[in-house]
Amino acid sequence: MLNQPGTIEPIRKVVTVPASTERAFELFTAGFGEWWPLATHSVGEDKATGVVFGEGVGGDIVESLADGSTAVWGTVTRWEPPHLVACTWHAGTPVAQATHLEVTFTAGKPGETLVQLVHSGWELRADGEQVRSGYETGWDPVVASYARQAALSGLPG
Amino acid sequence: MVLEALGDRTRRQIVDTLRRGPSSVGDLAARLPVSRPAISQHLTVLRRSHLVTYEEFGTRNVYRLDTTGLEVLRAWTDSFWQTVLDSYADRVRADRQESPQNLPELPQQKGLSDA
Repeated sequence: MLNQPGTIEPIRKVVTVPASTERAFELFTAGFGEWWPLATHSVGEDKATGVVFGEGVGGDIVESLADGSTAVWGTVTRWEPPHLVACTWHAGTPVAQATHLEVTFTAGKPGETLVQLVHSGWELRADGEQVRSGYETGWDPVVASYARQAALSGLPG
Repeated sequence: MVLEALGDRTRRQIVDTLRRGPSSVGDLAARLPVSRPAISQHLTVLRRSHLVTYEEFGTRNVYRLDTTGLEVLRAWTDSFWQTVLDSYADRVRADRQESPQNLPELPQQKGLSDA
């Protein structure tokens, strides 16, 4: 929910999957291109040919397009298999407008892993300085996210 | 639709400008490299998407952000990640069916391998 003007709560999503944390992590990262809904959630949509999740800190998440071009969606900032992976997220927007994605993998019942995704950093400013409060902050990245989502959803820019 | 309204760069600039505080059409036209009639048209689109609203002050309309549209956007982003995670979960389930050896150790499995 939106709270005070200028700040936006992170988006939090949770899913339980029938796999060990090791396998859940491996499928999320190394197997990224096997499950990501590329046709609808990509810069190129029907022209997108694949996406890979670079392993390790500094690895990029890169979409490939039919014309040979690529689009970088983000860069890995934390790599702690099999428990956590975090990256910047700026699909469709300049790097300076990156938000932040963190995914954790926690053992649940035997044979199950709880996967929690947090998309935050809406308040990150274009200059990279994180400003946490006040009316001066917050909307820039919201606008940036519009651009990203618009790009990702293939809407006319 | 919020995303369509924000698919235009000038409209994003208007939203960004209003983030800093309410503005009249004239103020917006002075700050952005767009004519006043064009600003008015963009504001109409933004208003229909509930991204901006306005109040009349005498002869001037003063525009400000309307969070209704932003909540729609947040819901959209939320559904974006829901779709992504659903797709991921489907892949993990398929993995389990294709490759039973990837299952974590379960008592039942142990029994099978002993047989």
